[in-house]
Amino acid sequence: MTEKIGVYVCHCGTNIAGMVDVEGVAKWAAERLAHRGVVIARDYKFMCSSLGQELIEKDIQELGLTRVVVAACSPHLHEQTFRTACARAGLNPYLCELVSIREQVSWVHTDKAAATAKAKAVLSGGVERVTHHAPLEPLRVPIHPATLVVGGGIAGIQAALEIADSGTRVYLVEREPSIGGHMAQFDKTFPTLDCSACILTPKMVSVGNHPNITLMTYAEVTKVDGFVGNFEVTVTQKPRYVKVDLCTGCGVCEEKCPKKVVDDIFEVGLGKRKVIYRPFAQAVPKYPVLDRENCTYFIKGTCKACEKFCPTDAIDFEQKEEIITLKVGNIILATGFDLFNAHRIPQYGLGRLPNVFTSLEFERLCNAAGPTNGNVVMRDGTTVPKSVGIIHCVGSRDENYHAYCSSICCMQSLKFAHLVRERTGAEVYNFYIDMRAPGKGYEEFYHRLLEEGVHFVRGKVAEVSAFARLPGEEGHLIVQVEDTLIGKQRRIPLDMVVLSAGLEPRHDAKQVAKVFGISCSADGWYIEKHPKLDPVATMTEGIYIAGAVQGPKDIPASVAQGAAAAARVMGRIQQKEIALEPVRASIDETRCSGCRICNALCPFNAILYHADTAVSEVNPALCQGCGTCVAACPAGAISGTGFSDEQVLSQMEGLLLRNLQPVEV
Amino acid sequence: MAERLSFSDEVSNLLYAAHGNPLTTCIQCGTCSGTCPVVPYMDHTPRRLIGMITAGLKEEVMASNTYWSCASCYHCNVRCPQGIDIAELMYALKRLSIWRAQHKEGLIGPVFSETFVKTIFKSGRSYEPVLATSYLFTFGVQEFLQEAQTATSLMLKGRLPVLPPRIKRLDNFGRMLRRIIPMGDAK
Repeated sequence: MTEKIGVYVCHCGTNIAGMVDVEGVAKWAAERLAHRGVVIARDYKFMCSSLGQELIEKDIQELGLTRVVVAACSPHLHEQTFRTACARAGLNPYLCELVSIREQVSWVHTDKAAATAKAKAVLSGGVERVTHHAPLEPLRVPIHPATLVVGGGIAGIQAALEIADSGTRVYLVEREPSIGGHMAQFDKTFPTLDCSACILTPKMVSVGNHPNITLMTYAEVTKVDGFVGNFEVTVTQKPRYVKVDLCTGCGVCEEKCPKKVVDDIFEVGLGKRKVIYRPFAQAVPKYPVLDRENCTYFIKGTCKACEKFCPTDAIDFEQKEEIITLKVGNIILATGFDLFNAHRIPQYGLGRLPNVFTSLEFERLCNAAGPTNGNVVMRDGTTVPKSVGIIHCVGSRDENYHAYCSSICCMQSLKFAHLVRERTGAEVYNFYIDMRAPGKGYEEFYHRLLEEGVHFVRGKVAEVSAFARLPGEEGHLIVQVEDTLIGKQRRIPLDMVVLSAGLEPRHDAKQVAKVFGISCSADGWYIEKHPKLDPVATMTEGIYIAGAVQGPKDIPASVAQGAAAAARVMGRIQQKEIALEPVRASIDETRCSGCRICNALCPFNAILYHADTAVSEVNPALCQGCGTCVAACPAGAISGTGFSDEQVLSQMEGLLLRNLQPVEV
Repeated sequence: MAERLSFSDEVSNLLYAAHGNPLTTCIQCGTCSGTCPVVPYMDHTPRRLIGMITAGLKEEVMASNTYWSCASCYHCNVRCPQGIDIAELMYALKRLSIWRAQHKEGLIGPVFSETFVKTIFKSGRSYEPVLATSYLFTFGVQEFLQEAQTATSLMLKGRLPVLPPRIKRLDNFGRMLRRIIPMGDAK
């Protein structure tokens, strides 16, 4: 045994030492693993502290250690710390192995003796494995300075503006004809009651005019190839049937178009739009979109009113779908949320009882630019309600729908209550389970509503019906609920009910995640790298998330995340190049039979097939070291750096303690 | 015996075969009580009863008529956002109050349940003429005579069996029942 191995066992305060006899483990390693090359074994309160790291550095220099094993937390947390410590002392960082005796031992066991025995085995596995480590050098690749931002809601807008202002190119891709997202549909924003459009549209205009932003609306990302720093993105531009270089956005086509259809997207079914349209007056870009499915010309072959009246001949009925390829270094996903479909809760009567509205419908009712010019009226379009009920937690905090709290509904409902009071003077009932107002100025807003005389009933609404049973209920919607604070069932007759529906992941969130190679939680929200310390990065290098795509959040939080993701990307661009983990697969040409099984299995398209020599080759820049090909190769020709058969098998030997010499009694 | 079980543990143990989530997961939202069609007849709403159980208010819970009013419509179960098996909880409390003989005085439910189970023990099947007579006597002669008239006309129309049904191997059946109902010997 020529290697000199140093073993370091961490107490992690009481995290490990509470369940594992740390000193015993270190002593055991020094005695029983000495013949395997262990020359020193120490324990320390916090190995990750600078004193702990210095301990390792000193030993490397003084004892001439050639390998280091640290028994502490998961490599996810401190592998980098200890590798860097080794590098500082002149040891190749990949000759350091971190074994987890916290996540895999102390935190999951309750028997100290057994946990200590397991910690010894895990450590022994690490000692055997580290002997077979080879010094590695990280791969350095350049970072392309352009960035792709997907989704033009408030989070995407914020991210795009921040990066563009720093002087690098941003491509902002949006699926709808205009950017603005859900925020463009709102009237007021809580808790300050700022006009939503007034604070959003200046930002939209900045995006439209920014010299560093290439805005691509009515387009979708269909394919992403490559890796951090060097993504190749395919964007499908849907045909607008309008030549944007000629169009002045004068709006004559929209005015002259003879056909109106119900607008299910922007007006959520409450209003109509023309077939050639801009979703709203302040849309960015200003160019309209022709809705082919409803266009009389595309259905019957005649009409062309828009073309006739267009002063710049910008209408082009021959326009085709366009495929555009972009080269970018980083990607920010800000694709937002869908509103929970409240039809799924039949007892709330949406769709069956006309005066039950969803929250988004109500936003449009309140909006001065909406279908009722901001008048809060019932479904008949004229009657002003005398009493309105607002139901919280619709589809949220419920095992049958979404178990999570949608976090915005309490404040949104308070805002609705205020707007109803302000515009109609109607009696307002808020039906809540718990009032959640944790943001800045939120609790104050709740108190303001209490002062305004809004009724608060604590109880989840059981049902909304039109069946009158008691006097005074005739002709009303009846909300049946237990008022839990008085312990009585109540039936409250109301004119109008608003369902404060929760947020849910986009209907196609899973497919989109697949395109970008990131993962979703069980609920469907995209998973961040670390819930507290890395909330905008993902486990895929170079792909960031911002806004409600990561989980329900309000406008301030979405803006903060958009800016945060932008800062991360700008940091990356500034570095100009990135060091990639050298954990890669490689193919032994002499053993490769050219069967090509690995070619199709590789999730990163990293394996090339050379037809002339009939062997496959791994592109180390594309390879992510996932190991799929290693397991699949029938000839055993592929090995993963850092995960060679030798390393894995010797680790097992160590785990089974076959490396120990029998104790002399 | 080791530590005495808390009342809420005692009730939870009775729910070991139910599919619902533990009572401790109740968020007191009141969906069950808002939904319940017989809440006006209950002294405490189902939500409140769950709160009282977790608070350990044993006497109040045992004296409540809430679970004896339960119509077993299971509507609360369907809507409960926490997936608690509320209807089964009501059954569990019925059983508990009978075993302990701690149920409230003057309720129809306990008497009916007891009579019903006894009939099952004797013949293996429910037999309305016997069930109804033995049960109605506890409420007085007048009540009995009134119901007897109805019963007679039902019987004449062939809507009530004249002879009590019996099942084969009643002994085996009795042993099975005794395993699941710890009533001691059926009287």
